[in-house]
Amino acid sequence: MILLVVLVLIVLAAFGAPLFALIAAVALLGFHSAGQDGVAVAVEFYRLADMPALIAIPLFTLAGFLLAESQAPQRLVRVTNALLGWLPGGLAIVAVLACAMFTAFTGATGVTIVALGAVLYPALLEQKYGEKFSLGLLTASGSLGLILVPSMPLILYGVVAQQFHTTPPVTIDGLFKAGILPCALMVTLLSIYSIWHARRVGVTREPVSGKELRAAFIGATWELPLPFVILGGIYSGKLAASEAAAATALYVLVVTVFIRREIAFAKLPKVAREAMLLVGAILVILGFSLALTNWLIDAEVPEKLFSAIQGSITSKATFLLILNAFLLVFGMLLEGFPAIIILVPLVLPVALHYDVDPVHLGILFLANLQLGIFLPPVGMNLFIASMRFNKPVLTLVRASLPFFLILLGAVLVITYWPALSLFLVR
Amino acid sequence: MSEEGTGATRWLERVETGVIASLVLAMVVLASAQIVLRNFFDSGLSWADPLLRAMVLWAAMLGALAAARDDKHIGIDFVAHFVHGRTRRVLRAISLLFATGIAAAMAWYGVGLVKLDYAGTNAIAGIPGWCIEAIIPIGFALIAVRLAVRAFQPPRSDAPALAPELP
Repeated sequence: MILLVVLVLIVLAAFGAPLFALIAAVALLGFHSAGQDGVAVAVEFYRLADMPALIAIPLFTLAGFLLAESQAPQRLVRVTNALLGWLPGGLAIVAVLACAMFTAFTGATGVTIVALGAVLYPALLEQKYGEKFSLGLLTASGSLGLILVPSMPLILYGVVAQQFHTTPPVTIDGLFKAGILPCALMVTLLSIYSIWHARRVGVTREPVSGKELRAAFIGATWELPLPFVILGGIYSGKLAASEAAAATALYVLVVTVFIRREIAFAKLPKVAREAMLLVGAILVILGFSLALTNWLIDAEVPEKLFSAIQGSITSKATFLLILNAFLLVFGMLLEGFPAIIILVPLVLPVALHYDVDPVHLGILFLANLQLGIFLPPVGMNLFIASMRFNKPVLTLVRASLPFFLILLGAVLVITYWPALSLFLVR
Repeated sequence: MSEEGTGATRWLERVETGVIASLVLAMVVLASAQIVLRNFFDSGLSWADPLLRAMVLWAAMLGALAAARDDKHIGIDFVAHFVHGRTRRVLRAISLLFATGIAAAMAWYGVGLVKLDYAGTNAIAGIPGWCIEAIIPIGFALIAVRLAVRAFQPPRSDAPALAPELP
C-alpha cells in the first residue's frame, strides 16, 4: 500500500505536479498514519507566520527584482568594467563578479542570466572572447553567488536548519559570514581561467581610463552605498538580517522609483507581484515541509536512515563524497530552492552524526546545488540560457563543461576544507 | 499580462496585484519604521514584529495564488521537454488536478484551523488570530479553483519573466 502511494507520487512528480502539492500529500499521509487529523498540517503550515528570519525573504527579493528591472545591472557592469576592464580577461572577470553579486541579491539564478546576459553577452562577443566561452561563462556564472550575502537560499537553509536546534547553532548571520571565502574561491578560479583564455585567443585589452572610471562611479552614485549598508550592517552586528533587508528594500524602492524614476510608479505593482510570486512559490513548499519535518523527526526517519547507511559509510570523507554526488543530482532535478527545503531535514541530522559542522554543511550544500543547477542533462539554467541566447541546449552543455569542471574542483575544496567556510564564523 | 479572460476576471486580477503590492509596500514601511524607532529612539512598536511575521504568511499565500495563475509553481518538469501535443496536455491536466485536490483539502483543514481559534482571544495588533489564519483556507480555496481552470488551458510560455530583448 505504502509502496503504491510512493510510486503514484513519484509518477506525479515526474509529470510535473507542483512540489508543494506533493509534499503536502506526503505530510497529510504521514500525519494520518500517526493518527492525527489534517488540521495538524494546517497548524504546522501556520508556523510560516511565526518565523522572524523569514521577514528578510520577501524584502530582499523585492529589492532584487526592483534592481533587475531598473538600469542597475548596466551600471554595475560599467563600474566593475572601469575598475577591472584593463586586466587581461577583464570583461570576463567583470561578468563573473557582476553575476555573483546580482544572484546574491535576487536569489534567482535564472533572472541573473536573463538580466545580465543581455548586457554581457554582446559585449563579450564584441571583445572576441568567442561564442562558446561567452555562453559557458554566463551559464555557469548565473548560479554563482548563491552562498553570498544576502542570498535567499542561505536564509532558507538557516530557517530549516534552526528547526533542529543544533550545537553549534546555525545563525543567518553566521551563514552570511561563512559563504564569503568559498564564493571568493569560485570567483578567483573562474577569473584565472578567464585570464588564461583571454591570453590564448588574444582578446584586446582596454586601456585604463581615469575619465571613464570617474564617470562610471558618478553614474552609480546611488547604488554604490548598497553593498556597504548590507555588509557593514550585518557584519558589525548593528542590523539583523531582517533589518538589513528592510533597509535595503526601502532604499532601493526610493532610488529606483522616486529618485531615478526608472520604474514608473504604475509599474511597481507588477514588479512587486513578480517578486512575491517567487516568494510564494517557495514559501508554500517551506510551509508543508515544516509539517513534513515534524513528522520525519517523530517517526525517527533520519535516525533510521543513519543506521541504514552507518554500516557501509564509515568515514566522514566517504559520507561527504557520497553527499556531493547526491546533492549534484538532486540540485539538478529540484532547481535549488526546493532541494534545500526538502533535503536539509533528511541530510542535516545524518551529517551531524558524521561530525559535520551545520554551518559548513549549509555552504557545501548550496555550493553543490549551485553546480547542479546547470548540470546536464536537465539543469534548469541550461534551458534558461538556451532560451535567452537562442542556442540549442546541447551547445550550452558543451560550452559550460570547462566551467563546470573548474567549479567542481572548487566544490571539492569547499567540502573537504571546512576551515575555509568556518574561518570567519568561529 | 494575460490577454484572455473577460472583463470581470481581468478586474479581479488587477485587484489581486494591487493587494499584493500594497501588502509588500506596507511591510517595507513597517519594517523600516521599526529600525528607525529601535536605533534612534530606543523604542519600537511591540505589535509590529508579530504583525510583520503574519504579513509574511499573507504575502506567501497571495504569491502562491499569483504563481498558480502564471504556471510558476515549482515542479520537476523535465518530462514536459520530451513529450508533445496530446500527451503533454493530458499529463498537465493530471498533475494540476492532483494539486487542485490537495489545495482543496488544505482549504478544508484550514477551515478547521480557523474554527479551532475562532473562540480564542489571541490577537496581533488588535487583529484576532483567526482573521490572520483565515488566509490559509481562503488562499488554498482560490488556488484550488485557479489550478482547476489552468489544468485545461495551455501552459504559459515558460520564458522567464524580466526578459529584456537581446540587442
